[in-house]
Amino acid sequence: MDLLIQALVQGVLVGSTYAVIALGMGLIFSVSGIINFAHGDLIVIAMFMCLSAFTALKVDPYLALAVTVPAMVVLAAALYRFLLRRMIGRPFLITVQLTLGLSFMIQSLLLMFYGGEPQRVPSLIEAQIWLVGDIVFEGKLVVAFAVSVVLSVLLFWMLNYTDFGRSVRAIRQNAKAAALMGINVERARLKTFMLGIGVLALAGSLLVPGMSIQPTAGLHLTVITLLAVVLGGMSNFAGILIGGIVIGIAEAFGSIYVSGTLGLIFPYLIFVAILLFRPAGILGRSQ
Amino acid sequence: MTVNPFRKPWIWLFCAVAATLPFWLPSYFLHVATVTMIMVALASAWNIPAGIGGLLSMGQSIFVTCGGILASALLVKLGINLWLGAIATAVLAAVIGATMAWFDNRFRLGHLSFALITLAFAEINQLVTFGTDFVGGASGVYLPKDTGDFLQFQFGGSTTYYLVSLALAMLLVALNVAILRSRLGYYLRAIRDNDRAAQAAGVPVLQNNMFAMALSGATTSLIGTFYARYLTFADPNLLASTSLTIYIILAATVGGLGTALGPLVGAVLLVPVGELLSAELGAVLPGLQRFIYGAVVVVVVLCAPSGIVATLSSWMRRRNVAPDPGPTHEDDASAGSGSERQRASV
Amino acid sequence: MPISDNQNLLEVQNLSAGYGGRRVLHDVSISIGKGELVGLLGANNAGKSTLINCLSGIVAADTGRVAFDGNECTDLAPHLRVERGIVHVPEGRLLFPGLTVRENLQLAGINPTVRRDREARIERVIRLFPRVGERLDQLAGTLSGGEQQMVAISRGLVSGARLLMLDEPSLGLSPLMVRTIFAAIKRLNEEEKLTILLVEQNLRLTIAHASRCYVLEHGRVVLSGSSAELAEDPRTRKAYLGM
Repeated sequence: MDLLIQALVQGVLVGSTYAVIALGMGLIFSVSGIINFAHGDLIVIAMFMCLSAFTALKVDPYLALAVTVPAMVVLAAALYRFLLRRMIGRPFLITVQLTLGLSFMIQSLLLMFYGGEPQRVPSLIEAQIWLVGDIVFEGKLVVAFAVSVVLSVLLFWMLNYTDFGRSVRAIRQNAKAAALMGINVERARLKTFMLGIGVLALAGSLLVPGMSIQPTAGLHLTVITLLAVVLGGMSNFAGILIGGIVIGIAEAFGSIYVSGTLGLIFPYLIFVAILLFRPAGILGRSQ
Repeated sequence: MTVNPFRKPWIWLFCAVAATLPFWLPSYFLHVATVTMIMVALASAWNIPAGIGGLLSMGQSIFVTCGGILASALLVKLGINLWLGAIATAVLAAVIGATMAWFDNRFRLGHLSFALITLAFAEINQLVTFGTDFVGGASGVYLPKDTGDFLQFQFGGSTTYYLVSLALAMLLVALNVAILRSRLGYYLRAIRDNDRAAQAAGVPVLQNNMFAMALSGATTSLIGTFYARYLTFADPNLLASTSLTIYIILAATVGGLGTALGPLVGAVLLVPVGELLSAELGAVLPGLQRFIYGAVVVVVVLCAPSGIVATLSSWMRRRNVAPDPGPTHEDDASAGSGSERQRASV
Repeated sequence: MPISDNQNLLEVQNLSAGYGGRRVLHDVSISIGKGELVGLLGANNAGKSTLINCLSGIVAADTGRVAFDGNECTDLAPHLRVERGIVHVPEGRLLFPGLTVRENLQLAGINPTVRRDREARIERVIRLFPRVGERLDQLAGTLSGGEQQMVAISRGLVSGARLLMLDEPSLGLSPLMVRTIFAAIKRLNEEEKLTILLVEQNLRLTIAHASRCYVLEHGRVVLSGSSAELAEDPRTRKAYLGM
């Protein structure tokens, strides 16, 4: 029983961060129709930035985000302006190609700068552990959870109570009508992309403490994010959050109950099972 | 689009030149040529369901694992002759492929869902392979030394391997041509363009898709066995990795998905450049090959989005014929409706 | 371009446009004066919607010019045209179904020109269409056709329209609703002095409300004049019904 609760706790804590990353991708998709297969690689860039910040300046990853987030937002603006903007309205396959090509480029650049050996980014918090009864709460996971929850709440608030958020929802429902309202659709897309990547950079700092990172880790993260987004029904933001948590829980169950690499197949199996029986996503298609 | 490239002289010129390579190319370059031909074959095999049929599967690495790793394990651990192993795994791959097509039909998956589900299976395949000792786990399986015994699925020296890979490549290209010109190709393209309309018109969608995926699976598996045999090592980092699927997809799409020559052009463009540059500078700049691969893909997508073959042939057509008005798209000038299209297919 | 006192609010000169390689509008010239209610008539594929799409910036013009209030705006982005007061109420309403009526209206008031007095504008629009006021917190997708049309027009007003372009407002509405909507349109033009361009399939309605009309056929202006003249002219019906 304890093992079950431990798995659930672990799953929810990690899953909350996956959820936020997935929400970033969902926002970008709903506004621009772009599915970015280099999404995970962008997180890895943020993680390696934390590594550099630590090796050069002995800065903790949680503090490094003061630098990584703005840097990634600027990178996002450039990426959008010069590459991704041209993908709007194009067929799915074209965007897949471009972003996969981009993914390869990012991976190999990271490989060139940092080498292929896994490296760890230490943090003050990484060894911190809290015990509630027999259940272990890892400090860094709790921090990740707390920040992710706050971030999700902020995003939901933005979507429902600000003009920008309303524009995002409007564009998702009807981009043409949005333009006719006087909404600058192009600028909204750019800002959403920058927001999505900013969230990624933040998530990078949350995931990285004590984790060993490699340049090729991006694809796995992209796949995990995609799983959560598709489980959530693509543009259903509440569904995406739940999707992220489900993936987190599946991953936790897999690693706690099954040892070795085989445990890691759980999220994929759960994904396939859910998608086959609820193809429109966990919560169905949203309006 | 059903022009037979084998009628044109230059393709035979290409074959002839390609066939002479072993006689003057230094051995490292011959190796690169062999690997290139293998990629041509793999990309062409993927083109059948994906390019012609519209089934964008991201699970090709599963088939390569079947043929490359499973067959090798059967040989090394159970002593099963590699020919038998190759055929058995090809059959298994065909069944897996057909099952994927069945899933797509039964559950009405859109492009994205199908791609993701097959990707999920590819990841599962990678993890299971790495975690299973029988197929060598993370260290792979070493095949017995090549003594040129044909009955053991051995082909002797590098010249023979190259020529066999060339034959495999051209065979797969020819297969693509044959399919494109056949009723199967006609059905597949109808399904790709609008599967509901095709179904309403009486095209047996499920059977055709299953056949295309099974064919793709079986051929990919056989190529996988050959690849492992060529390297004398069934390397899970190569043959079971999801990245391999991505390499295949990019090679086919850069060249031009749906055309018979696209995968050939794409692979020939991408593979040698990357391999050679990384051989020269690999020590100084690790990962250069992947960078080149990625950069070329990005450039081609931006400049020739329908693939090199399609762009070149329309360019040549425009030079030879009087200007034609071109296809009429319904272009939503500023407020792009691309998102509707993607959502509709999920 | 020199600004004169009695210049037209909208000047369209030699406009040609189309989609992809296909040209739909050929050399169209129209003008609308301040305070006018002008009708645009024509059979189904005459190019009426394309013309309005061009005016709102959704479709790019191939050749020709568009000037609004003396200022060139041929290549201006759609959201900037709304800022200047060129507002297009699209065919089929195109409300945001998952947003409430209030949110739809709030979004309409997002452009810098009207942002500051957005709430006041929404109040005014509710006085014009009380039904809209009753439905403020309902999801726009759940409204009836007539109510949606009222919301659509309201959106246009909240956006700060100085030229309101209505694309087939009577489409799919019951006769009672049509009367209500057109009464409101008439009031907007006569009392609020709002300049309106009306695209309608309904020949009778248009001629009854508009002071002047243009008739499009195959993307060209084939007839123009006061509604009275056009009503008498047998060529109107011919061009309009595409015979």
